[in-house]
Amino acid sequence: MTQEKQPITTNSAVPFPSTAVAAEAARDDAGIAKEDTAWTDRPEPAAGLAPITVAAPTPEPQDTAEGAPGRAPKMRADSISVFYGEKQALKDVSIQIHEDRVTAFIGPSGCGKSTFLRCFNRMNDTISGARVTGRIELDGEDINSAQMDVVHLRARVGMVFQKPNPFPKSIFENVAYGPRIHGLADKKADLEGIVEKSLKRAGLWDEVKDRLAESGTALSGGQQQRLCIARAIAVDPEVILMDEPASALDPIATAKIEELIHELRGRYAIAIVTHNMQQAARVSQRTAFFHLGELIEYGRTSDIFTNPREERTQDYITGRYG
Amino acid sequence: MSSAALSRWSGNEMQRRVSKRYAAERRFKLLGLLAVGLSVAFLAFLLVTMLARGLGGLSATFLSGSDSTDPALAGVWGALKGSFLTILVTIALAFPIGVLSAVYLEEFARRNRWTDLIEVSINNLAAVPSIIFGLLGLAVFLNVLHLPRSAPLVGGLTLALMTMPVIVIAGRNAIKSVPPSIRDAALGVGASKMQVVFHHVLPLALPGILTGTIIGMARALGETAPLLMIGMRAFIAAPPQGITDPATVLPVQIFLWSDEVSRGFVEKTSAAIIVLLVFMLLMNGIAIYLRNRFERRW
Amino acid sequence: MSLTLALAAVLAIAAAAAYLGRNKAAGLRGGGARLNSLPSYHGGYVFLWAALPPLLLLAIWLPIHNALVEQAVSASPAGQQLPDFAMVREAILTEAREIATGQREAGFNPESAKLAPVYRSTMAHYAWIGGGLAILLALAGAAWALTRVRASFRARSGVERWVMGALVGASLIAILTTLGIVLSLLFESLRFFSMVPPAEFLFGTQWSPQMALRADQAGSSGAFGSLPLFWGTVFIGAIIAMVVAIPLGLMSAIFLTQYAPAKLRSVLKPALEILAGIPTVVYGYFAALTVAPAVRDIGINLGVGSASSESALAAGLVMGIMIIPLVSSMADDSIAAVPQSMRDGSLALGATRSETIKKVVLPAALPGVVGGVLLAVSRAIGETMIVVMAAGLAANLTLNPFESVTTVTTQIVQLLTGDQEFDSPKTLAAFALGLVLFVITLILNLIALRVVRKYREAYE
Repeated sequence: MTQEKQPITTNSAVPFPSTAVAAEAARDDAGIAKEDTAWTDRPEPAAGLAPITVAAPTPEPQDTAEGAPGRAPKMRADSISVFYGEKQALKDVSIQIHEDRVTAFIGPSGCGKSTFLRCFNRMNDTISGARVTGRIELDGEDINSAQMDVVHLRARVGMVFQKPNPFPKSIFENVAYGPRIHGLADKKADLEGIVEKSLKRAGLWDEVKDRLAESGTALSGGQQQRLCIARAIAVDPEVILMDEPASALDPIATAKIEELIHELRGRYAIAIVTHNMQQAARVSQRTAFFHLGELIEYGRTSDIFTNPREERTQDYITGRYG
Repeated sequence: MSSAALSRWSGNEMQRRVSKRYAAERRFKLLGLLAVGLSVAFLAFLLVTMLARGLGGLSATFLSGSDSTDPALAGVWGALKGSFLTILVTIALAFPIGVLSAVYLEEFARRNRWTDLIEVSINNLAAVPSIIFGLLGLAVFLNVLHLPRSAPLVGGLTLALMTMPVIVIAGRNAIKSVPPSIRDAALGVGASKMQVVFHHVLPLALPGILTGTIIGMARALGETAPLLMIGMRAFIAAPPQGITDPATVLPVQIFLWSDEVSRGFVEKTSAAIIVLLVFMLLMNGIAIYLRNRFERRW
Repeated sequence: MSLTLALAAVLAIAAAAAYLGRNKAAGLRGGGARLNSLPSYHGGYVFLWAALPPLLLLAIWLPIHNALVEQAVSASPAGQQLPDFAMVREAILTEAREIATGQREAGFNPESAKLAPVYRSTMAHYAWIGGGLAILLALAGAAWALTRVRASFRARSGVERWVMGALVGASLIAILTTLGIVLSLLFESLRFFSMVPPAEFLFGTQWSPQMALRADQAGSSGAFGSLPLFWGTVFIGAIIAMVVAIPLGLMSAIFLTQYAPAKLRSVLKPALEILAGIPTVVYGYFAALTVAPAVRDIGINLGVGSASSESALAAGLVMGIMIIPLVSSMADDSIAAVPQSMRDGSLALGATRSETIKKVVLPAALPGVVGGVLLAVSRAIGETMIVVMAAGLAANLTLNPFESVTTVTTQIVQLLTGDQEFDSPKTLAAFALGLVLFVITLILNLIALRVVRKYREAYE
């Protein structure tokens, strides 16, 4: 994957984050086009300032929500149901997560979107009484099969949580933790390299490079969350799951996280849970709308926000409930 | 990238590393199981030893008799009655004082140096070695106040000072767990602060307080050292008639018999331990039952 | 009249007055007045005023009463004939009191029989004074409170002020207890240190408090170097017991909180709680009867010739087992306080459970665990019965766990049981030992409680 600068083609008069969004979208599409000619996704339109304005794209039959032809999804969830004891939290949900794209899960609280996200790296295993049925594949492999090692799975499918949860260790140790347990670096210099690279990718390096020995909990909330992202990146995952990563942060820190998501999109398949619709519109290319444990609608973000098929989606997006 | 990652995770070296990590995981879990197993095995071993040694000593004479120099005639009734009277004094003093302190500290006290001092005192008293309370009892109750030696009254007073902090701490936790909305509701209909506490908060906190009290009483029932200090180790052949009569208590009786050289007393000691353990288990069982039965999540 | 009778009389007066007060208030209401407080509050108000002051008086009177009686008896003609020697004199007086109150049929000293009637009459005399005062106070309180029963009177506030007083009084008991402990230990210790220099006590290595058969006997002062005692205490309580309790307790807590399925946990946890509830005298007996001989045999088989049947190892082992539940439950609390999000963060990176526990949960829970261990040490060094029954009396400064050592608590029990004589250094030494023990455990407890509280606040 390349991150080199591509010519910015969209207007630059729209202030941040839209600029970044627009630029990203353009750059990204160019990159994809260069890499994979079968990929004919049109430029994702920029999300403007509120109210949500997503430029209506021309519908393209070959790029459906079910994925582009000729390109297998990174992860595929097939009729997933989740039960907490007797209670069913998720009903028969099927979805795909693609590389190089951000998929947003939206919906009112308690709709099961976080529960669903946790299925992708089997974090629901840690909740006693939780039971998952259905099939989830990573590169075509069943993640719940006996061959799939949960340790491997979680290394390949990283996760960032709602509340920043740095370990009560130094900044360096926080990032080095993952590579250490997986033995990704034999020499100290390698480890330092990984830490530096991860912090740079998370956009935190300049802020913390002089105080790597300080405790991770001493950082501000936004920095902590970027530290957690750096920590997830350090094991070089293929997919990153983000569970409302900015909900506990102030607007400026949120903007930084969103910008970061854009930069990361080129490298990782990203799935993000958010209750903030503007955020979904700004950062994602695919959106899934959940309600009461059901997947109501899944499609291109632009379609969902401008032209939803379902009335419930329409109601939610226009703020009639949620 | 994905193919590179795949080969990295499925490479031989990584496979070996992961199997090593899983082996460590299993070892660690086994170690934990071993630790619990060892502790529980010790408990089982202790109980079995006591039962094997003492069951033969349990008889009607044993349960109805008092201390005697002849192991065949010795019994635990005297000591049991002493324990009963002592605990009665303890509970009569420690329960009201403990509950009232807890109410004051949790509901009324403003945070200042005095209440901090009270809090530190209580937390510390709960962890002071019991023998220190024995020294206090000896110095104050016997030498200054001239209360009768070896009497359940003094034993109960001493143990009350020892258990009171336990009840205060349990009481505060129970009171704390009553949600503020209940207080607001009662205050809203015009109840005074005192009425709120005694009509609403205390009844709701009572199961928690009782659980703490029973555990405290069980501890007091099994306590030996402080009672040795106030002279409850005398040879007493007649059950006490009142709280000022010289008496001994069950744990002290066990201690005294354990010192006897005569073979017959080994069986008697174990039998007395069985009796004591039955009472302890009964009290702890009631406490656990109360906790499970009435524990409320708000 | 006995004081018990006075007590009953006071309560009866108060009850009667409360009834009158309640009826008076109810009558006011019947007369059409609107009462500020319910009639029962008026009754309660009158009761408290009639009962509490005399009860307080009696509580204060009781100790003074005994002192006054003793003084008067000593001053009486029969009392003046008593021997001057304090110990004998005390013994006779005590016997006389016990005969007078019916606790004892006859004394060993014939004088006590003569003194008993004097004792009885003096007691009756002072009981009359105290009881009479109490009853007068009850009547006065009742009368005054009854005059205040009016429609506009805020009886409820009055009652609540009394209850508030009771609440404050109850919480002061904790401070009074602490004060009582400190003062009594300090007072007796100062007397001890006037006989034995503190430096010798704290740093001396010879401990042999002689049995003083007679006060004038030569060489009765003995040697009071307590260093071997403190070494023994630390050796058994802080070293051997902790070597057993910390790994077992910590691993038990980890297994129960992180690994055990809910069903297993619901069986094992109460089992550990039972282990915590077993009286120490039972542990002591078990240590002396079963563990100590086994440890001695092992020692002899290992070629340790000095292996004692009262070894430090036996006492320490059993004490360690006794402490396991304490360490385990403290560790359990600390581990449970580590936020789940932190655990999730580690698991989501692909760490195994044991890696998460060892590298994230335990370091995060460490302050809480350390606090728990400090409390456990404090508990172990103050533990008495196990060492009294299983450790020896020989004050050795040894590193050999198969040898016998003695501890502070063992010596306190040893010094204070049997015939005592209150002014001898031997008896007073127990209080000096108690003072040092109290100070050490106080410091440990304060540090531990502070560490644990800081830790809890960090995650709230």
